[in-house]
Amino acid sequence: MTFKKTLIMLGVAGAMALPTLAFSQELRIGFSADALVLDPANHRNRATETIIRNMYDGLVTRDSGMTVLPELAESWTQIDATTYEFKLRAGVTFHDGSPLTSEDIKFTFDRLTKENAMGGQTSPRQSLLGPLKEVQIVDDLTVRLILETPWPILPAMLPFQEVVSKSFVESVGTDGMTDQVNGTGPFKLVEWRKGDSVIMERYDGYYGGAAGIEPVGNACVQRVIFKVIPENASRVAALLAGDVHIIDNLPPHMVKQVEANPDTRVMAVNGTRSTYVALNNQSGPFADIRVRQAFAHALDRQLIVDKILGGNATLINGILSPDAFGKNQNLPVLEFDLDKAKALLAEAGYPDGISVTLDVTGSDKETGEAIAAVLSKAGIQVSVVVGESSMLSTRFRTKGEPIDGEMYLTSWGNGSMDPVGIFEPTHRTADRGNSSGYANAAVDALLDAAGVETDRAKRAALYSEAEALAAADTPFLYLWVAQDLYGVSNRLSGWSPIPDSRINLHDACLN
Amino acid sequence: MNLGKFVERLLQLIPVLFGVSTIVFVMMLFTPGDPVDIMLGDQHVTEQMERALRHDMGLDLPPVERFFKFLGNAAKGDFGLSYYHRAPVAEVIASRLPATIELSLVALIIGLTISIPLGVLAAVKKNSMFDRIATVTSLFGISMPGFWFGILLLILFAVNLHWLPVAGRSGFSFEVEPITHLLLVDSLLRGRPDAFWDALKHITLPAITLGLPLASILMRVTRASMLDVLDRDYITFAEAKGLSRMKVIGKHALKNALIPTVTVAALQAGSLLGGSMVVETVFGWPGLGRLVVESIFVRNYPLIQAAVLFYAFTYVMLNFVADILYTVLNPRVKL
Repeated sequence: MTFKKTLIMLGVAGAMALPTLAFSQELRIGFSADALVLDPANHRNRATETIIRNMYDGLVTRDSGMTVLPELAESWTQIDATTYEFKLRAGVTFHDGSPLTSEDIKFTFDRLTKENAMGGQTSPRQSLLGPLKEVQIVDDLTVRLILETPWPILPAMLPFQEVVSKSFVESVGTDGMTDQVNGTGPFKLVEWRKGDSVIMERYDGYYGGAAGIEPVGNACVQRVIFKVIPENASRVAALLAGDVHIIDNLPPHMVKQVEANPDTRVMAVNGTRSTYVALNNQSGPFADIRVRQAFAHALDRQLIVDKILGGNATLINGILSPDAFGKNQNLPVLEFDLDKAKALLAEAGYPDGISVTLDVTGSDKETGEAIAAVLSKAGIQVSVVVGESSMLSTRFRTKGEPIDGEMYLTSWGNGSMDPVGIFEPTHRTADRGNSSGYANAAVDALLDAAGVETDRAKRAALYSEAEALAAADTPFLYLWVAQDLYGVSNRLSGWSPIPDSRINLHDACLN
Repeated sequence: MNLGKFVERLLQLIPVLFGVSTIVFVMMLFTPGDPVDIMLGDQHVTEQMERALRHDMGLDLPPVERFFKFLGNAAKGDFGLSYYHRAPVAEVIASRLPATIELSLVALIIGLTISIPLGVLAAVKKNSMFDRIATVTSLFGISMPGFWFGILLLILFAVNLHWLPVAGRSGFSFEVEPITHLLLVDSLLRGRPDAFWDALKHITLPAITLGLPLASILMRVTRASMLDVLDRDYITFAEAKGLSRMKVIGKHALKNALIPTVTVAALQAGSLLGGSMVVETVFGWPGLGRLVVESIFVRNYPLIQAAVLFYAFTYVMLNFVADILYTVLNPRVKL
């Protein structure tokens, strides 16, 4: 009798333990793209970085407010204009159990910056480290990063890099690094089914993570799966069906569906992508500033944000996003004013209105048509033409050559939230992202000075001044910074989106 | 079968592959869009860095030189490195190919199993209500765009009914050691009925979406061919001999009626490769079609070139298979 009772008790205890063993602790993300490689140094792709970042930690990272925090480093100090010293945490191990030392840091950065250091190839991420010249090992847990020239944005750019294990890379080679992982991150690789999914599981020897991002410790969930679903409708369907718990790139017009579903909700975060209409400043009607300003006055941007983007965007009057470093908070606003618009057009020689063409990519077609509809109230006829993004890029981002087109609805991202990544490419004369042919030597000079200025306050002031100058010229119709939209399951807690579009799942829990 | 004919076909491959390579190369040359620019996206880089990347990708060479370098290497089996995957193109394609092959095969099977019985019945019951419905349905089947129909199926069966999964090729608790790299086959060979069932659930919706236009075409072909055969003298003779209707159709008519069906199926199998691009994108199927579409958008030239060569080769071979099948089924015709 006792034996039977014991068996029953064991059975009941086992059954109670079962839920914690089952894969209810498996967090699935419906992700819009696959990782290209799993080698942190061998790609140049945001989606790849998002996936890798869960398995490889970096010297520093960012929190949800985009503040740079120490991660594998315990602290850092700037010794002089070109030298930074980083103290590493003790007791950090890679997934294979080997300890992290400054040898690994030096190896990681040498591999990223030296020519042909990656099995005969140069790392495509080399330029993200700017003038980094060398890494010196001070002792087992201290390194110094030495720059060629002063580069104030080094801390802001370091979160883009992850630390690899010297011994591991030497044993598997760059080829092996493509699909094998040995990192210091909260999750380790189980399997990469290319094109289909990346399967990870919790690393129980995790050092705990950045001290500034609570809670510190092992990851909350047992397994994480990034499931690749590139098609928007399919991704949303997967969320609604409960197949996945987080989806990225939720299109604005599907927000209602996700909100209406009792098991899901939408999470939004201020993006880092500035959307604007580039106007051809070189030739045609927009060479005249009065026409450019007329269009700005004729465009009711808030209406478009409310109707097309569901209110999920913040208007901008200069190129920098509201939270960016150096943002000029006092830019003049070219308000929506139809009379002023018509008056300016008449003054510029278009008393009876004007006809122009707006080039857009397929995904921006709706927004383009909304812009056209709004502008028509001022007697402006806009014909919206859809083209492929790389072809439009070639026509407008001409590096100073003649532009083929009049208006181009486009955007530029700024993952580091530092102006150098967005202001320079889009506004500097003949730079690679300048789609309006804007050329102002004064602005160029300010940008150059800010690029090397090490004093933060002075640097911010330089960018603010540049932004004011540029805004006065109205080379673009500055539109908005759209929020990044994510759909999540109501079972999810401990996670919120970050402006740099990372999906870090260390603290995410599934209830 | 004559070995000489086979060799002749293989030799015909050479000008085809050369012609296809040249055309695709020229097309991509004149298509605006710079792979380096696309790869760098919104990143901020110096001129020097951009030049270094361009050199790394081999894009600073003049076009003619690039082309002949590619041909020379391709002849040795080296198709270059994919710009994005930083791995040999042949490897990347090979890793994604089994998924597309499996999807195409299942779609082909679905297409044949639906179309042949329906086509035969429609012909036998010509002009009946059944025939009319079948004909109109096949019209829908050919006309419905894959992305629309696929998403409809998704919404109905995956989201609303929860009967089938939304995307992907397999669930995550199933690991089957590959033998043929076809999940359905491997899971059976390894004695894993649970994995088989899971793979089957995942492949159902994409295969139906891909197979439906094929089924519609084949149904029409079967019906027309069956009607033609049923009209022939030898059928009338068989009926006059007193053979049952079933035997007449099943034994005498069917084999001949299926000749066009099978040959069209072999030819259409090539178009399954093309149709798979849309279906794979909708269903997140990790196959070659989706890889090629993505590569075109980012101008991943080496991968596009190699994939196009692969498709051309497959088409030529499928044509050859169709010709052989035809001679096998109809001994009066020689290759």
